[in-house]
Amino acid sequence: MNKIATRSTLIILFVTATASMIMNACKKTDGDQLQRTSPLSFTIPKGFPPPFYQFTNNPLTQERFDLGKKLFYDGRLSKDGNFPCASCHQQSAAFATFDHDLSHGFNNQFTTRNAPGLFNMAWHKELHWDGGINHIEVQPLAPITAANEMAEDINSVISKLQADPKYRRMFKLAYGDETINSQRMLLSITQFVSLMVSGDSKYDKMKAGKATFNVYEESGYKLFQAKCASCHQEPLFTDFTYRNNGLKMNAFLKDFGRMRITNQKEDSLKFKVPSLRNIFQTFPYAHDGRFNSINQVLDHYSTGIQDSPSLDPLLKNKIPLNATEKFYLVQFLATLTDSTFINDKRFAEQQ
Amino acid sequence: MRYPLHNNSCMVFIAWYCLLLSCQKDASADKPEQGAANLQVHLKAIVDGQPLIFGKIYKNAFGEDFSVKTFKFYLHGIELINSQTNNTYRVDKSNHFLINTADSSASYIQLSIPSSVYDRITFILGVDSISNVSGAQTGTLDPAKGMFWTWSTGYIMAKLEGNSPVAATPDHVIEYHIGGFKGTENVLRKISLTFPSLQKVDLKPGSQSMININANINTWFNHTHPIRISQNPVSMNPGNLATRIADNYSNMFTVVEIVNE
Repeated sequence: MNKIATRSTLIILFVTATASMIMNACKKTDGDQLQRTSPLSFTIPKGFPPPFYQFTNNPLTQERFDLGKKLFYDGRLSKDGNFPCASCHQQSAAFATFDHDLSHGFNNQFTTRNAPGLFNMAWHKELHWDGGINHIEVQPLAPITAANEMAEDINSVISKLQADPKYRRMFKLAYGDETINSQRMLLSITQFVSLMVSGDSKYDKMKAGKATFNVYEESGYKLFQAKCASCHQEPLFTDFTYRNNGLKMNAFLKDFGRMRITNQKEDSLKFKVPSLRNIFQTFPYAHDGRFNSINQVLDHYSTGIQDSPSLDPLLKNKIPLNATEKFYLVQFLATLTDSTFINDKRFAEQQ
Repeated sequence: MRYPLHNNSCMVFIAWYCLLLSCQKDASADKPEQGAANLQVHLKAIVDGQPLIFGKIYKNAFGEDFSVKTFKFYLHGIELINSQTNNTYRVDKSNHFLINTADSSASYIQLSIPSSVYDRITFILGVDSISNVSGAQTGTLDPAKGMFWTWSTGYIMAKLEGNSPVAATPDHVIEYHIGGFKGTENVLRKISLTFPSLQKVDLKPGSQSMININANINTWFNHTHPIRISQNPVSMNPGNLATRIADNYSNMFTVVEIVNE
């Protein structure tokens, strides 16, 4: 392990350890329990900033992570049993939905948005395309309760879990007693999702001096830095802001994006800048999945941008790109695929 | 400045002293063992001066019929004050209470406080902003209590649901879910209540007193701002309508009686 990563890991371990000590001091039983569990560490890839979510009140343990994984893959979190988190967040698609524009939910319904990939979530200050969720721990409640997603009631989920002896055992292993409540459920899912860190793509290897870009990738990288990187900031390939990138509003969905959360007119049609990591796996693209290919996205930026009062100032003149430049950009974007992450058994469904 | 060093040391000393004081206060708030007494704060929903009957049809100030199915609200930051001596007892601000007047076990707050004489009560109606941004909570703040917006994070601080024939909604439902904790959308309201003339909470060690408070639902529709059901049968997110309704309902409480046992 290199120096910076080691140091970052140490910092997180320190924070976690301090938090555990505080918890030990305040809540003796939980502290005793933590000592019986197996601590997990959170490794920050080289060059990444410290994550926003620090696990301060949620000390990482194998038992809580394992519980979170079981919950993530469990259809019982949905009303009819058919829609686990994993139904829209598939590992082979970097935890987006493979080849689906809008996600599917309960009773043959479409949602209004394209499920984003799940990786590097601990760096997000807010969640969702519109940033409506202000804390990663409460995010799962949104899909669980949305009528067109998992369509379930929180109390009903908790009752189903309580009725299963295996869950009672797992909650006891993770938290010291068989109490099953929404907080414990959410903290565990948060551990599972937050540990999905993607930072081992060819791009990362190139940055670490362990791989070299070919001439196309190198040209694409230079173009990317000149034309895309102000919003898709390295190394996370998003600056986590909300922007109107000139997509014409779908007249049926009538999705105004961030304005729904802030009630501010200037936020109309703004959506969170998505990360470009694993972009080859997460098609289709845009908040409503309207683009089937990266080329369509590039065409949008070079010629398709629609003007409107809240259009991002950086896009007023579009982003002119010729065919060769688009080709180079696509070659570069392919280096953001992290096969290690997509094939990481820690995140795969237990058979 | 002539004695900057002296002033600085003074400031540091004062800061430390304040810190010390605040620590002591917290400690005493947690364990009022010396001369502790019991205080119950009872909250009763009323309409037109009479106890609320769920499902019964009432008229608001605009002659609009309505009935109530659900009536709940959060409060925290309770303070008992003696306005003569300024002696104040503060309940730990992180303690949130969810009042549901339909459930007799959830319509009063049981407190253990230092025995003394108090003549005022204040509290904050709603859930403090920190709890709105702190992730998964449990106890009274468990999202499973149904007082939480899952799609745009935040607590529903007060909820009034029912029906009205003038509501142009499916099944003529009325739903006022009032929340918002940021900037101009903040619906947290400080409620400061005096006691009926000559009545005081007079607690001796080990004794018990009750403060009976009425919560008048009529105010939701008409106090500071007129809210007509026909125009606004539903409030489901933070914003101008929610803050106006919060302005209104911040006037709903009256202390009707103190009982010292």
